[in-house]
Amino acid sequence: MATAEKSIALNPIVDNVAKQISALQSEGRLRLPPNYSPENALYSAWLKLQTITDKNGRPALQVCTKESITNALLDMVIQGLSPAKNQCYFIPYGNQLVMQRSYFGTACVTMQVLKTNRPPVAAVIYKGDEFEYVVEAGNKKVTKHVQRLENVKKENIIGAYCTIFPPNHEPYTEIMTIEQIHQAWRQSKMNPFDEKGNLRPDSTHAKFAEEMAKRTVLNRACKMFINSSDDSSLDLVVESFYRSEEAAEEAAFEQEVAANANQEFIEAEWHEKEDEESVEVQEPVDGGNESTQEKPAAKSEPARAESKPMQQPKRRGPSF
Amino acid sequence: MDIQVLASGSRGNCYRVTDGKTALLLECGIPFPQILKSLDYRTSEIEACLLTHEHGDHARAAKDLLRAGVDVYTSAGTARALGFKSHRLRVVQPKTRFTVGSWSILPFDTVHDAAEPLGFLLDSGEERLLFATDTAYLRYRFTKLTHIMLECNYDLEILKANVAAGLVSSEVKRRVLKSHMSLETAKNMLKANDLRRVREIILIHLSDDNGNAQRFKNEIARITGKVVRIA
Repeated sequence: MATAEKSIALNPIVDNVAKQISALQSEGRLRLPPNYSPENALYSAWLKLQTITDKNGRPALQVCTKESITNALLDMVIQGLSPAKNQCYFIPYGNQLVMQRSYFGTACVTMQVLKTNRPPVAAVIYKGDEFEYVVEAGNKKVTKHVQRLENVKKENIIGAYCTIFPPNHEPYTEIMTIEQIHQAWRQSKMNPFDEKGNLRPDSTHAKFAEEMAKRTVLNRACKMFINSSDDSSLDLVVESFYRSEEAAEEAAFEQEVAANANQEFIEAEWHEKEDEESVEVQEPVDGGNESTQEKPAAKSEPARAESKPMQQPKRRGPSF
Repeated sequence: MDIQVLASGSRGNCYRVTDGKTALLLECGIPFPQILKSLDYRTSEIEACLLTHEHGDHARAAKDLLRAGVDVYTSAGTARALGFKSHRLRVVQPKTRFTVGSWSILPFDTVHDAAEPLGFLLDSGEERLLFATDTAYLRYRFTKLTHIMLECNYDLEILKANVAAGLVSSEVKRRVLKSHMSLETAKNMLKANDLRRVREIILIHLSDDNGNAQRFKNEIARITGKVVRIA
């Protein structure tokens, strides 16, 4: 323990984050929850970070930029989150480390913003449940939800709701139908639907449909409150809440582009015909982009090999 | 090949392209009278319109064109999303060639928040035009291109600065990011493709707020060494 603490204190990234947090606190711009210890959170984050690898198995701490690691840790502390309580986790996207809030994390930030100890509650509504609600001056209020155990099947989900308890106010409830929940999933970066519009059976959303539905409705409900906070001492928290989401989205998207853009050569057969006449004459051997390009498409290969075996060596790179 | 820009950008997109034998419209996202005027009222010279997706800034005059006797080629998803039927609304499949007059056209899928967005690769004789707009990136690589019309919508730094200044909402930023092409992505696309035969690059669908036409043009010209035009 002593060695670990020493090493964490000596780590320049963590040290830098700790100093920035102290500065923000002393300037009065950041007020962390009384029971939150930034040191403990940083310590457990640093331990977790040692074990995180990217999709190629390389350690995140080696591939990710110092700046992205610093920002991820700063966002964690500013939002008062703790990785040991699974309120957040870290994901490397390319060379960007991002801090992702979990469902518990979002609930935790909301409680902080509302200054309450009562956590938001989310529940799933199943086909066959007795579920009733009223709308009073635009506010929804669940008046009855009776569930039978036999209804509890993930294929029976028809909706979900989340209630938040702001002190000195009426509870606030957000209700979403399964269609609205699916629409939110479609727009998420992990879109779990395939091209035909079916939920991929191996997706987290299909496997843990109840938890994901609760998470979606909770996120929507909590954002209502985080958006409407008027306490300026929480500005930094609110700012960080969105900044970390945006950073995660940007990084995930950049990775998607890097993985998918400019990959597949389109339409092999069409170019095949043209190559027969033009490959020798029209393509000077000047290298160009060819070193990075794939072999000719395999499916058009056999016919050519059979009919014009002598032409094979001439074919290079992009000409299908 | 002659490419005429009737309109480009989020307020409307429409281009006329001809190989000297067959004239086509690419998109029809401006009011029909404006199209008529730009074409000197000679719609009969237009053989067909190729439509990438159903959003208004691309499809606004689709119904009028169909009524005026111009065939509109688009994907099944876009046709459905347009919500009207016509025997002139021709459904094409991604990666399946079709012919219009002297053009052989290959549609391909793109990355945009629309029902079934397409891009088009158009061949006529030795000339090959790539038309790619409203796509966060292109999955494909192309060969023997001679003309490129490529979206170059925004610069991420400008977009982020606009969000920070409150000029652009986070929601809009998220949408732009996932459905339009950035300068950086356009550059990478051009680097990944064989440009040896390319005679002209036209940058299309620039954002008024999140772009910088002169800088985009200079940067693309510098990395490609080609003639670059801003639509």
